[in-house]
Amino acid sequence: MSQLFDLVMLALLIAMALAVARSKDLIAAAIIFSGYSLVMCLLWQHRGAPDVAMTEAAVGAGVTTILVLLAIGRTRRREK
Amino acid sequence: MRKALVALAIAAAAVPMVLGVIELPRPGDPSAPALTHVAARYIESGAQEAGADNLVTGVLLNYRGLDTFGEVMVIFSALAAVMATLAGAPSAAVPRAVREAIPISPVVAYIIRLTAPFIALFGAYVIFKGHISPGGGFQGGVILGALLVLLSVVLGRGSATPLLPVSAARCLQAAGPVTFAVIAAAGLALTGALLGFPQDPALAHLRESMLIALEIGIGLGGAFIILGLFEVMRGD
Repeated sequence: MSQLFDLVMLALLIAMALAVARSKDLIAAAIIFSGYSLVMCLLWQHRGAPDVAMTEAAVGAGVTTILVLLAIGRTRRREK
Repeated sequence: MRKALVALAIAAAAVPMVLGVIELPRPGDPSAPALTHVAARYIESGAQEAGADNLVTGVLLNYRGLDTFGEVMVIFSALAAVMATLAGAPSAAVPRAVREAIPISPVVAYIIRLTAPFIALFGAYVIFKGHISPGGGFQGGVILGALLVLLSVVLGRGSATPLLPVSAARCLQAAGPVTFAVIAAAGLALTGALLGFPQDPALAHLRESMLIALEIGIGLGGAFIILGLFEVMRGD
């Protein structure tokens, strides 16, 4: 059961990483990357690292996404 | 041709990485190099020596305090670098006057006002309980920083009414490095070592106060640095 959880989460991570790389809409990519961090946070917690999980949820899913969105706001939304 | 080159470059990067991962010891293997040197001592006597029941905090603030000082400086210089880079840049995509004229959705404003006190309480809890349970200055600081960003969406919109006076914000952004410097100097005076913590059991309360002061400094500094990054990048 525990290993199944890891496998599902890792498969999700790979799918999301590919989706970020393939997306031409940078805002969509930023949001998917935020979801990537959230899955990563669950994995950290599951591997027994609650300190890292909290940091991942707050910094990875929260603040980084806001800063990336602001950076997109100052440039272009779509990748050429 | 170009795709083949890209595939080759990715393979050249991926193969050594995968080989390296295969060489790694299994998680939790007691004979792993990471667990045979200093880790045993941290686990055995970390709670008494470092004064923090949460071993991660003990290592972060006490055993490896100087490294954490460096981390705090890195975050501080990140803000300085963003400010310096964007200082002469043309203003944001949406000029400030236009942005301020857009009315904010009452639903968003209400939700932010409703949840703000709970987020603030949780952030403070994470900072203050950091030496006992998972959490600490960095995590709690980011939670508070996210709260400040949310509040600045509803409150700090007009140029006449910033969320915080600029001079106060500047002082609070330097809270992390300043607290670390003060505690490092206090450690030098008390124990003769930079960032030293008194080992005497009679001074346990003092040691705990020093750890909590560090957590508060890191937390406040981190929170206001995040707010500063947000405001600078938004074009305030």
